[in-house]
Amino acid sequence: MTTSPWWVDEDFWRKMAIWVTTLMALVLIGLTFDSVTQITAGSERVPAYSVINHRIYYRWDDSRNFQVPVIGDPAPLFGKSLTEIEAEALVSKGKITTQAKNCMNCHTLLGNGAYYAPDLTKAWLDPSWGAEVVREQLMIQFLMDPETNARGFGSTRKMPNLDITEEEARGVVAFLKWMSSIDTNGFPRNFTPIAQEGDR
Amino acid sequence: MNARTLDSSHLTGGQKLAIKYFTVAVILFTAQILFGLISGYQYLAPEFGYNVLDFNVTRMVHINALVLWLLYGFIGGIYWLVEEESGTELVGLRLANFAFWLLTLAVTVVVLVFLFIQTGPGDMSTLWLINEGREYIEAPRWADFGIVVCMLIFFWNIAATFMKGKWSGISGVLVLDLVALAGVYLAGMVYTPNISVDQYWWWWVIHLWVEATWEVLVACIMAWGLIKTLGARRKIVTTWLYIEVAMMFGSGILGLGHHYFWIGTPEYWLSIGGFFSALEPVPLVAMVVHAVYDSGVHKFKNSNHPALAWLIAHAFGNFFGAGVWGFMHTLPQINLYTHGTQWSASHGHLAFFGAYATINIAIFYMALQKWRGNVYMSAGLEGNGWKWKWALGLLNGGVVGMTIALLISGYDQAFIERALGGATWAAYFDAQNGVWFIQGLWWRQLFGFMTAAGLIILIWDLLTIGRNEKRSIQLVGDNTAAEVTS
Amino acid sequence: MFEPVEIDDLMIAVIAGALVVLFGALYAFSFAMAKLNKERWITVVACCIFAAFSASVFVLARALHLDGYWQSITVAMLLGYLIAPQAIWKLSVGTHESSD
Repeated sequence: MTTSPWWVDEDFWRKMAIWVTTLMALVLIGLTFDSVTQITAGSERVPAYSVINHRIYYRWDDSRNFQVPVIGDPAPLFGKSLTEIEAEALVSKGKITTQAKNCMNCHTLLGNGAYYAPDLTKAWLDPSWGAEVVREQLMIQFLMDPETNARGFGSTRKMPNLDITEEEARGVVAFLKWMSSIDTNGFPRNFTPIAQEGDR
Repeated sequence: MNARTLDSSHLTGGQKLAIKYFTVAVILFTAQILFGLISGYQYLAPEFGYNVLDFNVTRMVHINALVLWLLYGFIGGIYWLVEEESGTELVGLRLANFAFWLLTLAVTVVVLVFLFIQTGPGDMSTLWLINEGREYIEAPRWADFGIVVCMLIFFWNIAATFMKGKWSGISGVLVLDLVALAGVYLAGMVYTPNISVDQYWWWWVIHLWVEATWEVLVACIMAWGLIKTLGARRKIVTTWLYIEVAMMFGSGILGLGHHYFWIGTPEYWLSIGGFFSALEPVPLVAMVVHAVYDSGVHKFKNSNHPALAWLIAHAFGNFFGAGVWGFMHTLPQINLYTHGTQWSASHGHLAFFGAYATINIAIFYMALQKWRGNVYMSAGLEGNGWKWKWALGLLNGGVVGMTIALLISGYDQAFIERALGGATWAAYFDAQNGVWFIQGLWWRQLFGFMTAAGLIILIWDLLTIGRNEKRSIQLVGDNTAAEVTS
Repeated sequence: MFEPVEIDDLMIAVIAGALVVLFGALYAFSFAMAKLNKERWITVVACCIFAAFSASVFVLARALHLDGYWQSITVAMLLGYLIAPQAIWKLSVGTHESSD
């Protein structure tokens, strides 16, 4: 009994389990402080909500080897420039609406969710809205009556009617516009955005 | 001919309570499969349930029933073992029973609201009363508090019972893990308009449950199961439990990084997540060595064949689901294309089933053995044990089939939508309309029915196994010695 | 910085990834069998499987462009899958002997 080496000892492994877990948890907590700072709205990676007052587009970044979002000239959503507080309220209205309408159990947001409907990360910049000038209106119409305005894309899948009001729809559009400005390390790859005035 | 009845006088108070948890677990498992079949069918026939019971509802019930039946199984499993493990009676049985009914009532109300009210207006009242709209943790805020209260009662009961009786290595790990499991849930209860911050904490709940605390919880129940069914020695089992905790938390906690590639979080997560993801399968692989050593050196007999078969299914399911299927698409170089496609669904099906569903089913069989009065469950059961064998085959075959079918669809989607198509909505639908994609979904549906058939036979078997059995449990290993000396 | 897989290499990367874990497990299995049965031919088989494992790692590393920092992942995989089975074997023998 006395000959068994220290590294098979129950006590040694109990301590090991505790130390490894503690160490990893501390590293995670440390990284969390840094990450949460870096993704707070208003940071470089996650722009302030008032970004909806501007044009958002994408540019290839050679040093990072993927497309990065760029905040361009003023292009206020629904033609009205908002203060930071107003913008946050509108985006928040949209975010709550996406939760209340359970969007995430059909769509993905930032790639997370269900796979029954397209990803919403870059919905604001999707080329299927056609011309930039009609995009906002088309989005509102679609959200308020998805059944009639269904695009289809050759599929019979249609978004159901979720009783979204105009106020909620405006919030959702603001939320989607803001979300498209988040730096997602190049996800989704090869994204081809809508043609916008002032591109390149 | 006196048939063996289900005799609860064999059971301790905690075990009677465990049976209640197991019963609800099986009902929720059935709900999971049923709503899985419906949501799978909606891919093939989108008009089915349109504007009545839409995909977002059926899929939400599918995944929530999954989370809940697994949790019910775990809680039941712990109540089952706590009294034997601590050597004393449960300190608050009445309160524990109250918590069970409270939790079950809350779950029932939540599911009914999901099904019949579904969604609400875009303000906080919906998040409080109807639906929080965050995948896997959709339960509205009022239910979150109910769940926390029930979990606190559960935690207090378990910890206080061990405190009154005796502690062991297994119970120490178990109680600490329950603290972490409950604590992490709190991270998912906050509202923020910032989707990046939202998903940052959301992954704390999902990942640190599924790839860390649940794994350790299951390892505790497994450790106890090995002592009971294989007669493994406690000292060895406990040492290995510690080794596993070190390996699982060592690779799993920072493995969280592979969910932080694309949600706005800094680039260093690519390096951290990539590195730990590459190492995550290593413990799984290394444990093969231990399994070979054990089976080769000890040539165990065992007292419960169905349970052991499900534990073996667990080993394989976990290895393929978490190990192979996880690693295939986890490095950022490839995940950039596969993230948010059916690929994740493929991995999810096999990993959840292999890692957790199998374990719960094994526990059900162990519980039933005792409930039927320590009935014989070794080789040569009535009808050669065809029911449990068919259930095992159909459930595993069904899930593996769905996994492979979804992988084909996922590959097709990643290739057409992401690699070729420019990841637009038009590209998304190009992939969804693809021949291979649709074929994959048809096969998934077929294997879904196979899984459902397996579930029906499993329930039939759980209700009948041992009923006409006259032999008693065949004790093995250290348990025989214990039986003789006590 | 990372260089995503080329479209044409997607299938190769997926298969190589699966083979890494599968060969890793097969190696662990054959290694343990060789230890258990003390037969030379099983050791040879185990070595061959490890060679196949290493080949899968290299194919994966090439397909995924694991250069620079990412080379550490290649090394970690090669070492991890080699050392872990040995360590677990030693622990298996050690823990069982010490409790006898």
